[in-house]
Amino acid sequence: MKTLAQHISEISPARAFRPVAVFVPWVVCVLLALAVHFVSPLLVNEYWESVLQRMGVFIVAAVSLNIVNGFTGQFSMGHAGFMAIGGYIGAGVTYYGSLILHGSVGDPNFAVQGTLLMLAGLVAGACTAAGAGYLVGLPSLRLRGDYLAIVTLGFGEIIRVLLELTPKQVSDAAAVKASPIVSFFGFNGATGFAGTPAYANLFWIWLFVAITCVIAYRMKTSSSGRAFLSIREDEIAARAMGVDLTKYKVRAFVLAAFFGGVAGALYSHTGVNPSPTDAGFQRSFDIIIMVVLGGLGSVSGSVLAAMILVLMPELLRDLQQYRLVLYALLLIVMMLVRPKGLFGVKEIWDLSRGDRKQPVGKGGTP
Amino acid sequence: MSFLLDAQGIGITFGGLKAVQDLTVQLPAGVLYGLIGPNGAGKTTAFNLITGVYTPQTGSVKLAGQTINGLRPHQIAKAGLSRTFQNIRLFGELSVLENVMLGSHVRGTHRLLATLLRTPGFVAQEEAMKRRAMELLAIFDLARMADEQAKNLPYGDQRRLEICRALATEPKVLLLDEPAAGMNPSEKKSLSNTIREIRDRFGLAVLLIEHDMGLVMEICEQITVLDHGQVISVGTPKQVQADPKVIEAYLGVEGSGEPSGEVSHA
Repeated sequence: MKTLAQHISEISPARAFRPVAVFVPWVVCVLLALAVHFVSPLLVNEYWESVLQRMGVFIVAAVSLNIVNGFTGQFSMGHAGFMAIGGYIGAGVTYYGSLILHGSVGDPNFAVQGTLLMLAGLVAGACTAAGAGYLVGLPSLRLRGDYLAIVTLGFGEIIRVLLELTPKQVSDAAAVKASPIVSFFGFNGATGFAGTPAYANLFWIWLFVAITCVIAYRMKTSSSGRAFLSIREDEIAARAMGVDLTKYKVRAFVLAAFFGGVAGALYSHTGVNPSPTDAGFQRSFDIIIMVVLGGLGSVSGSVLAAMILVLMPELLRDLQQYRLVLYALLLIVMMLVRPKGLFGVKEIWDLSRGDRKQPVGKGGTP
Repeated sequence: MSFLLDAQGIGITFGGLKAVQDLTVQLPAGVLYGLIGPNGAGKTTAFNLITGVYTPQTGSVKLAGQTINGLRPHQIAKAGLSRTFQNIRLFGELSVLENVMLGSHVRGTHRLLATLLRTPGFVAQEEAMKRRAMELLAIFDLARMADEQAKNLPYGDQRRLEICRALATEPKVLLLDEPAAGMNPSEKKSLSNTIREIRDRFGLAVLLIEHDMGLVMEICEQITVLDHGQVISVGTPKQVQADPKVIEAYLGVEGSGEPSGEVSHA
């Protein structure tokens, strides 16, 4: 019997280099983002464009939370906290960066540099969120189930309270230039941080939607992804087979927090003022519902569920006060009909294949 | 003589209970070694001590010369020790193939960037894991079920899949915790053949916990008998079977209705 190393050495580099599989997804990402950006204005009005933006943000949030809750089976209830970190840092970089570099915020002549600032803020926010994810991931090594849920819930609340304690926003360019570091944390307490220009248009949001989905799916279908899933299925067996629980649990939290931060940073650039309640448990629950509805472990499930749950309140708007009742009812029916979510751990494209295959596999082969 | 697995005087106490005391087990390469004893004798605890689930309070464990007591379970797996579980612990929602590929995890490298960029090195490793897993599945006659979810397999197949997954970690020593539990006689027969085949084909040492005396006596070359956490007998199946202490532990003492031994000598 050959070892794994011997098998690897037998595979020729030419066979292992698959340009189509490697690069095409990225090209598709860009094309999708361009398509959404240029086609949607032809079809829908500005209001629905803002719904599409919201939808994109929540897809990124749900898919990233799925890495922890779905793949790795660690029940995190603090995802809004990571989103808020990314959102505030991102907004802060753009807002105060504009003040320092340009002297004012939201000048149309500064849009290109502003967009670059947004991207820089997005990276900074995502990295800070990832750092927080590392800190939250560490207790997950000792805590399970409900207890971990409580810790992560507490994390979100800590972020919310910390944001409420931040000093007043500074809007004077000279004052910001005088003490940039102190001013940067002027997030305006409980009132919320206002005035971040809406640089995150449909292109940027849907570009990151596509990137997040490709990355989450590539994680899932890799040896690291199998390690995540094995922890979810049976920790004791996973570590006996050589999976380093510490490393993979923390890795899951860091990745999820990173893209949670991306979602938050994008959201704060859509003309919505980030406020401390964004870090609260209400928002975390919204995202958890998306993940559970889509199926724990299913990337495409999270995408579809996030779409449905963002659209539903909009579509039910005519029913006015009954819409929340209907929303709840739909969720209950969903859970009764498909207790494992829309797709379970599978992807949307696995479903038809799996259904066709089973009868053949069971009855056909001798 | 050097041993592949060399556990010297290992022991652990839970509260006041001496679960395993001064246990020495030495496995040369290619041996089929049995660890038996009545219920609650400490067999599974002994497994957990060797595999790092518990850290031995006394004694040392060496695997191919490397000291492994005190290491964490995943490090011990990497050192070359793999196991199955008394109550099957497969990754139920994953496919049969993925279960075995996960076994290869410990022999691979898993860089985040390579995973996300799908570098040639990453692709080659995935491909190699898959090939190796399919070879193993073929040996166990499970290849045609590769895409089934593990939880949907019949019981006997699940047991064999667990062995298959353990072998995917490229172990030097394989620990089987009651592999024949719940099997019917014909399944047991084929299991004992499988265990011998594995030993011959992979050249590893196998340590086996088993309740089924027939199976143990048939395939094991050396046996250690535990009772109340202590070794009461060591030897070949014949020697062990004839040992009065072993008979006492399993059947009680002749001429006495009492389970405790001392009374009958009076």
